[in-house]
Amino acid sequence: MTIPTVFRRGALLALCLCATEALADARLEARRHFRNGMNLIEQKQFDEGIAELEEAYKIKPHPSVLYNIARAYQDAGRLPEALDAFKRYLAANPPDAASVQAQVARLEATQQAASAEAPPPGSTPGTTGTPGSNLPMPPPPPTSIQAQQQLAMLMERLEKAVNRAESLTANASPQPQASANAPASNTANSSDSAQQGDTSGDQGFVPYEERVVTASRRAQSSLEAPNATTVITSEDIRLSGATTLPELLRRVPGADVMALGVGSANVSLRGFNQRLSNKVLVLVDGRTEYQDFIGLTVWAGLPIGLEEIDRIEVIRGPGSALYGANAMLGVINIITQAPGTGRRARFSAMAGGGNTVQGSFVSHGQNGALRYRASAAYRQEDKWTRDYASGRPDFALRDEDPDLGTRGARGNLSTVYTFSDDRSVGLSGGVHRYNTEIYPLGLLRNYSMDALGAYAKGDVELGAVKLKAFWNHLSGTAGPQYEAIGQRSLVTNIASNVFNGEALYARGFELAGEHQVNIGVEGRLKRVAFGYLDGNLREEFHAAAFIQDEWRIVQPLRLVVSYRVDRHPLLDKGQPGIAQSPRLSAVFQPMEGHAFRASVATAFREPTFLESYTRLPVPVPGVNGVSVLTTGNRQLRPERLNALELGWRGESPRLGLDWDVALYQNTVKDLIGLSPVQRLPAGETYDSGSGSYLVGRSLFTNENAIYTARGAEAGINLSPIDGLGIKASAAYQHVSSDLPEEGQCGPCSQAPGFRLFGGITYRTRKDLEFGVDAAFTSSTTWVEREPAATDPTRVDLLANNLPAYTVVNARVGYDVAKDFASVALMGSQLGGGHAEHPFGNRIERRVFATLTVTP
Amino acid sequence: MKRAPSSPFLRGLAAVTFASLLALGCDSPEVMPTADGRQNTRAARIEGSLVVQSSARGNAIVFLYSADALPPPQGSGRPLAFTVIPAAELFGASLGDTSTGPFTAPFALSLVAPGRYLLRGFIDADTCRLIPQPCHVPDFNPFYGVTGEPNAGDVGGGSVDPATGAARILEVTTDADGWPQPLTGVSVSFGSTATVPFDRPAFQVAESRDFDTSSATSKVLTLTPQQFTGAVDQRPPGFWVQLVDANRDGIPDDANADGVPDFWPRVVVRKLADVPGVVDENDLDRNGLVDAEGVDYARVNGGKDGKPDAVVLAAGLAPDPLLAALLDDQGKPRPQPVFVPQLTVLIRALAVDARDPAAPAPLTAVPPGRYSVTLLQSTGQTWRVPNELDPVLAEPAGLPGVASQAFVLEVR
Repeated sequence: MTIPTVFRRGALLALCLCATEALADARLEARRHFRNGMNLIEQKQFDEGIAELEEAYKIKPHPSVLYNIARAYQDAGRLPEALDAFKRYLAANPPDAASVQAQVARLEATQQAASAEAPPPGSTPGTTGTPGSNLPMPPPPPTSIQAQQQLAMLMERLEKAVNRAESLTANASPQPQASANAPASNTANSSDSAQQGDTSGDQGFVPYEERVVTASRRAQSSLEAPNATTVITSEDIRLSGATTLPELLRRVPGADVMALGVGSANVSLRGFNQRLSNKVLVLVDGRTEYQDFIGLTVWAGLPIGLEEIDRIEVIRGPGSALYGANAMLGVINIITQAPGTGRRARFSAMAGGGNTVQGSFVSHGQNGALRYRASAAYRQEDKWTRDYASGRPDFALRDEDPDLGTRGARGNLSTVYTFSDDRSVGLSGGVHRYNTEIYPLGLLRNYSMDALGAYAKGDVELGAVKLKAFWNHLSGTAGPQYEAIGQRSLVTNIASNVFNGEALYARGFELAGEHQVNIGVEGRLKRVAFGYLDGNLREEFHAAAFIQDEWRIVQPLRLVVSYRVDRHPLLDKGQPGIAQSPRLSAVFQPMEGHAFRASVATAFREPTFLESYTRLPVPVPGVNGVSVLTTGNRQLRPERLNALELGWRGESPRLGLDWDVALYQNTVKDLIGLSPVQRLPAGETYDSGSGSYLVGRSLFTNENAIYTARGAEAGINLSPIDGLGIKASAAYQHVSSDLPEEGQCGPCSQAPGFRLFGGITYRTRKDLEFGVDAAFTSSTTWVEREPAATDPTRVDLLANNLPAYTVVNARVGYDVAKDFASVALMGSQLGGGHAEHPFGNRIERRVFATLTVTP
Repeated sequence: MKRAPSSPFLRGLAAVTFASLLALGCDSPEVMPTADGRQNTRAARIEGSLVVQSSARGNAIVFLYSADALPPPQGSGRPLAFTVIPAAELFGASLGDTSTGPFTAPFALSLVAPGRYLLRGFIDADTCRLIPQPCHVPDFNPFYGVTGEPNAGDVGGGSVDPATGAARILEVTTDADGWPQPLTGVSVSFGSTATVPFDRPAFQVAESRDFDTSSATSKVLTLTPQQFTGAVDQRPPGFWVQLVDANRDGIPDDANADGVPDFWPRVVVRKLADVPGVVDENDLDRNGLVDAEGVDYARVNGGKDGKPDAVVLAAGLAPDPLLAALLDDQGKPRPQPVFVPQLTVLIRALAVDARDPAAPAPLTAVPPGRYSVTLLQSTGQTWRVPNELDPVLAEPAGLPGVASQAFVLEVR
């Protein structure tokens, strides 16, 4: 054991021993207490039941719990405690404040009357409830018809809540909700709330149910979602010890996370991962982070940090029916904390191996109807390993700091002004100056990008109508980190601007069942100036419209019908054409806590600017006078996916258990890739621009092969006792093709067959937190293009075997001063050195320490 | 001693500070190549300057040859790599005039492995800017044999010893750790005196392609000049012949001591591989060197040697017509080359393994198959049939098909 290792372990132990006080998945724990409490209350064990509810509220405050506590006290005949709980509930300013206030007034009157008159002998409190009901006892009969109607309505709503009534939807307001307004107005408010960064993850009517907003572009229980959905909460993020977003996604069943460098990762879902992974749409508060010019999510360039994230929703499966192009294999929606919902100031500092330094500041505030969130951060980290040494006689290092893996400084401001419950205006913007690695396609290798990213976004909510506009900007330089000395450089400039506007309308109505309709239109202008493009500056205008109807035919069965049409300027053989994305899903909920779903959908990925317009002579290594011409193709068809999925999502609140099982078959065709190098006509071989002769041309083409991916995924979240959280998932997939030889099928051998994830977190009641997780990925074989060793002007396809690997991360956290300061020690990549792509860095262990202060 | 009071906060802060200091890694990332082939090689580079003294204008092409496989006319080596220095970079503001310089520009050959090398090059000149037709626009194309050599008006050059004018052998060495050392400051000179006087010796064959070695001991081929225009622009007025006088002593050389002087051009009849196209047997990678693995034939002395052979047929030019043109009335060699309208090639039913050109080894039998015929001029320019102008090959390559260029000697 080396001395540093000894000290590091000693430091970890020191942190443990310093601990004086500390819980795992708060939602599951709180839900377990809530359910147990409600059962006890049903059995008239009011004290024990109320204690359970109080425990749930302590773990994770939810206004509905206060309401139920108040009702329990009322049923138990303990009016002072009931009044106190009702008042605590009213302090949360719930939408049903008026009716609750009226109830409080009645109770106070009753209490006064009771104090003046002793209760009759033999009377037993709390015996007026309906036998066998899951609900607390109803209040004493109201004295007026109006009050009776109000209470009846309230009872009906609460019954729906506890039984997960289908029609209830979350309110977009960040204020917690305990009961419903009129269903129609609630529906309008909740539609597309994910794109406004609200915090509806646990703010539904049913306390502690998992809610998602991405699957249907409105808030709903994850049981109602038509897709396989995984939610990563802020608590998961904090306890995981992950320092990057891709690292967090390893816990998503079916997610392929391929880290090539500390700032460079490619994420795909259900196979088809690659350098420049381009089939998953990544959103931040509904704003795309997919870089249209190249087809990549620059994870290190996202303008937000982990500390600003409220939750991440991952839709595993096609999402084009709602989100259009590029949501082919899934959607990752990163939802930030809603303005004004956090602490006034939160400072965090991190340092650790690889010269890692990170500091961040997040502030929330409110002034009347105006709420804001402001943040700033800096981060840098060295590469795990370097491909080339300095001072070599053959290759030159282009970067000033060849050790640097990623570095960036960013700032964000997000504001929202609320005029009324369903009318608000939100403005947000951010900038990120960063340097990171990316790994392009084909013969190109490790690039670095020195870029400025910026965005501005505006949201307007007008009842059932929502308007959104945003601007995404990316500019800077990109080029190979290492270039043969004397060879023409491929460093180039990039400037990408995307302007997007959209309007959404949501409405619910009754017609042979309950309908919830969402309609949207969208326009997007893309202007890209990129040195690798033919003509340098390119511009495209895209338009789209979609409609979705969620139709509850009968109580346990809902049909979700979605259809989206996207207009793309090149899709019809180089002319404007359309891509259609229908989806039909059925969600069957035969009993509480169980949902079975079946879905048939299509999705697509549109050709990127790189694939449409590139003209790049790539130098042949060692033959400076020769290049291979890579060209775009304006005749490309979109990549297409037809998907079938069956799923079962269930929960057992009393056990603190959630699970999700999915079976799928994805049929993928028209994949876009580089063709084999084709000789050019003799008269076209000299390229005056590069001063080289073109040995041939490789152009982006649609493959003829049809790929079929079949797989199964299962995941559970378990919180059996307080403080302990267990997450586990397993995914199996098999990709096949109609190619005559298996060895020709890159996506088949590149998709890992098995992926396993397991994670345990434990929080003591003494302020100490432990977390460890491990992700296993089975071996793969990557087919990559390389110049032939004997004749570099010839490009060969070489198979590179990649052994199986396991990523292990761990974290120990300690609350030094309750609600003021906490520290944590995190171990990253503890599973040992490995690579996740044949051309990627060899990933090494690192240890980080963090200090978080919330004054 | 009284123990200093400490709060949980201070203890925690101390703990995290301690842990941070320990965890903070200050070492640079380790250098660890990935599976990328380029990261697992060790190479250097050759770089230096071009010096051009000529009124010719065009891109400069610099070829890297292995010293073990010299280019024509000394050998049959092919370039390992080449680089292009664009005319605009080389001539700058003088690109449009006729000044003779000198003009200089840097050049580099990247990723050169340790070894001994030779640099040659030429200016792919646009002669049409100075002289009317017939002239050449820049027409070098490295990917085809019919376009990969200099033409009339191009300016030759190379890395030469300034004192002797002989070609320099450049050596890329390695240091004690095995790292190749870059070779810098190399000069490659181009001058008007090295202007290529004529086009390549493009020819066509009049006779049939059959050579039945069981019934005939020799085959006679009559070569006549073939002219092309367009993408392949070769307009040789005839065959430029001269007596070989390598040591310039005024006495024609007679390498095989058969009493007949040696001539330029030389003729090579080489066996082709049994694959589509015009690829020499046992040189499938077309680098001019015999492959490590291939077809082996029995030698007269010793049988098969276990190594692939470079099979050529014994062939030469019929001397009489040439001597008549090359000797004066007194039988003395004329000082200048002369043009002849045709060449007669005599091919014997004798095959040799020319893997070592200095010591060709006769084979026990003439391997049947397809053979190419190559003419090699003293300037290093060559022409071979069959070539890419074979109509079958020409169309996909975007070249004009010429039936005569599909000629191949079919040996049975």
